[in-house]
Amino acid sequence: MSVFLSSLGFGLITAAVLAIATVGFTMQFAVTNVLNLAYGSVMINSAFVTYYLNLHAHLNAWVAMIGGVVTGSVASYLINRCIFTPFQRRNLPPITIVIVALGVDLCGTFGLQAIVGGSYFNYRQSPGRQWHFWGMYFSTLQLTIIGIAVVVLALVHWLLKYTRLGKAMRATSANMNLARNSGVRTQMVISTTWIISGALCGLAGTVFAMDTGVFDATSAQLYIVLLLSAMFLGGPGEPYGAMLGAVTIGVATEVSAGFINPQYKEVIAFVVLLGMLMFRPYGIFGKEKTL
Amino acid sequence: MSGDLSTAGQILRATGLSAGYDGRAIVHDVSVEATPGKVVSIVGPNGSGKSTLLKSLVGVVPVLGGSVSVGDTDITNMTPERVATLGVGYVPQIDDVFPPLTVKENLDIGGYLLPRHEVAARIDSVLEFFPRLKSMMSRRAGKLSGGERKMLAMGRVLMLRPSVLVLDEPTANLAPLVATQLLEEYIRGFAEKGSTVLLVEQRAKAALRVSDWTCVLGGGRIVLQGPPSELENNPMFVESFLGGGASRR
Ligand SMILES: Nc1ncnc2c1ncn2[C@@H]1O[C@H](COP(=O)(O)OP(=O)(O)OP(=O)(O)O)[C@@H](O)[C@H]1O
Ligand SMILES: [Mg+2]
Repeated sequence: MSVFLSSLGFGLITAAVLAIATVGFTMQFAVTNVLNLAYGSVMINSAFVTYYLNLHAHLNAWVAMIGGVVTGSVASYLINRCIFTPFQRRNLPPITIVIVALGVDLCGTFGLQAIVGGSYFNYRQSPGRQWHFWGMYFSTLQLTIIGIAVVVLALVHWLLKYTRLGKAMRATSANMNLARNSGVRTQMVISTTWIISGALCGLAGTVFAMDTGVFDATSAQLYIVLLLSAMFLGGPGEPYGAMLGAVTIGVATEVSAGFINPQYKEVIAFVVLLGMLMFRPYGIFGKEKTL
Repeated sequence: MSGDLSTAGQILRATGLSAGYDGRAIVHDVSVEATPGKVVSIVGPNGSGKSTLLKSLVGVVPVLGGSVSVGDTDITNMTPERVATLGVGYVPQIDDVFPPLTVKENLDIGGYLLPRHEVAARIDSVLEFFPRLKSMMSRRAGKLSGGERKMLAMGRVLMLRPSVLVLDEPTANLAPLVATQLLEEYIRGFAEKGSTVLLVEQRAKAALRVSDWTCVLGGGRIVLQGPPSELENNPMFVESFLGGGASRR
């Protein structure tokens, strides 16, 4: 029981990080139609920008995080602008973009490794005191990450449901031509989506590194497996599904890691993903794209 | 009937228009003109290029030759979002709503170009027109029946306060009575209050009844056109569309 509860605690933190990441990833997929496999490399690059601001510019890690968020945002916008859009214009089949994204991911990860080297890094940040509830242990740092996730998810909900931009994003996702016929400038909506989802990606990268504690250039390389599992679990293109999928995958991987070798986390996530694809290819809630 | 929903029309004109997909023309050398206060309809067999013609007018399909204008503005190959800003409302034949969005959100997007403070009042006027939608504002459009969905599609386009309405088979899948009401009361009503209406209609008889001018499209070309009274008596039209002359009124 105590192993279960303490791993449940870990699961909630993993879930919080994953939820931020998955919501951005799903938003990208739903609105821009790009399955951006380079997401993990943008995450880790953003985490490193936070690291440099934290260590070399001597900023508090939470302040330095703003740099990571901006990096994710700008990098995602530029990757779309300079790489994905030119390929999309040529009317190539969607699989082409997936392969291009995979290439961008490798360049992003190993390019970063070429710069920072193969060693391990950590932020100059104290995890704060330990809190103890119902058999679960959390540091102040971890509670803050969970708090950030809750606030971010609420903001995304507000954006999509109540703002003009959010409705335009959902309309673009659902029926791009009809959105244009209604006067929505869909290209601008898509660029804005890259900027917002990129910010979520940068934020996710930084809190991921904070939560991991010690990280290197390749730390987020397998993260895409968790992202895909969480997204498919919730239904591709379903941001609310993504939130739930992230919690399920986060908790499932950590709780199982409490009992079997934690090395197999991604394998567990992948098994869940395979099961989902076999039995509910559109996720627990999804029918098709339903942003 | 169309009360405060109608807007003064503008002339929509295509001149020598060719359009198609991947650089290959499907519509050839078509000239049509729709004027305020009038309903112009387009009939023709399946695959004759009716939808392609409408799409090229509103910027969804590239114009390969000729020109399109609204009022004094040349809109040839203008993006659909800019065409919308000129007051041209278009309802496609398929994919005419945003399925995951609620009815209310569909109408909101329809009113995307309106000043924000006018959206709520405009939704009220549209709902007065399609009162059936009132009770389903928070339902997802994908869950509506075919007829409710068509009403929403019409409601969505009316939100824009269009001066020109371009409608691709607005009565498809509707019960005969509802179809007749939509055509003869609502759509006819918009024209009578001064809007411009260009309409594709499969059912030739219904098209003649509601239009001031009808074009027959065949193989992407206009093969015949004229006022209903003339077409009704044209042996070729009667032969192909009204069932061999038997159904004359
Ligand atoms: N996206 C497309 N790409 C290539 N060809 C197309 C496309 N859409 C339609 N066509 C072709 O263009 C021709 C005309 O199609 P269009 O949809 O304009 O016909 P239509 O008169 O509206 O027919 P219907 O009465 O069935 O709606 C058809 O031969 C069709 O196969
Ligand atoms: Mg058609």
